[in-house]
Amino acid sequence: MKVTIRSWTGVATWRWVANDDNCGICRMAFDGCCPDCKLPGDDCPLVWGQCSHCFHIHCIMKWLNSQQVQHLCPMCRQEWKFKE
Amino acid sequence: MIKLFSLKQQKKDGESAPKTGNQKKASAAQLRITKDINELNLPKTCNTEFPDPDDLLTFKLIICPDEGFYRGGRFIFSFKVGPNYPHEPPKVKCETPVYHPNIDLEGNVCLNILREDWKPVLTINSIVYGLQYLFLEPNPEDPLNKEAAEVLQNNRRLFEQNVQKAMRGGYVGSVYFERCLK
Repeated sequence: MKVTIRSWTGVATWRWVANDDNCGICRMAFDGCCPDCKLPGDDCPLVWGQCSHCFHIHCIMKWLNSQQVQHLCPMCRQEWKFKE
Repeated sequence: MIKLFSLKQQKKDGESAPKTGNQKKASAAQLRITKDINELNLPKTCNTEFPDPDDLLTFKLIICPDEGFYRGGRFIFSFKVGPNYPHEPPKVKCETPVYHPNIDLEGNVCLNILREDWKPVLTINSIVYGLQYLFLEPNPEDPLNKEAAEVLQNNRRLFEQNVQKAMRGGYVGSVYFERCLK
């Protein structure tokens, strides 16, 4: 039997590969978005610190900007440095 | 054709109206506090009260310690969660006059995670446990009520008696405390 494919539709799913399900700051799912965003994905990405902790970029930026002296990870209090 | 367009328009109006009408978009602080409250896991000595069930940003916590100096007392704390939560800690005040090294007579509470050590991954639950800990282990270093702290440091027996006196209702030195025993 010979099958000829006339057309096909690709479907893909995606999710962030993080060591946790939720952002520790806003407690929303990583696969969702932070409370200030409407759409998950590239518009509301995750970032990792060198300490390996991970947050929505908008959540961690808001926290770092509110800290005057030193920028510390809200999870482990080590100095926050973005992981390359 | 005209009819069809107007129908479409009507449908559109109908869709957009209720959204603005009956459900105002919850703020980030409201979303976060809802999760905190849902996941609240209170020790058996603690209870919450919500004067307005629709407003999760204002509530009271009642602690009835079952051991330590303050056993048998009943202490009410008010919580006010601001629009910047969880980037700023809630404002917590003790409404029950208490003889305690870390709580002053105006109800200000000295707890590190309510001030300099706050971080947004902490929750209401963390604060509840912090407050409960203050009653089990009053900390004479870095006090708000210096007199109580001095007594605790120099004479634990007298401190215990003073706490009892205050909780039964009475004077400790020149300060009157209302009765707060259960």
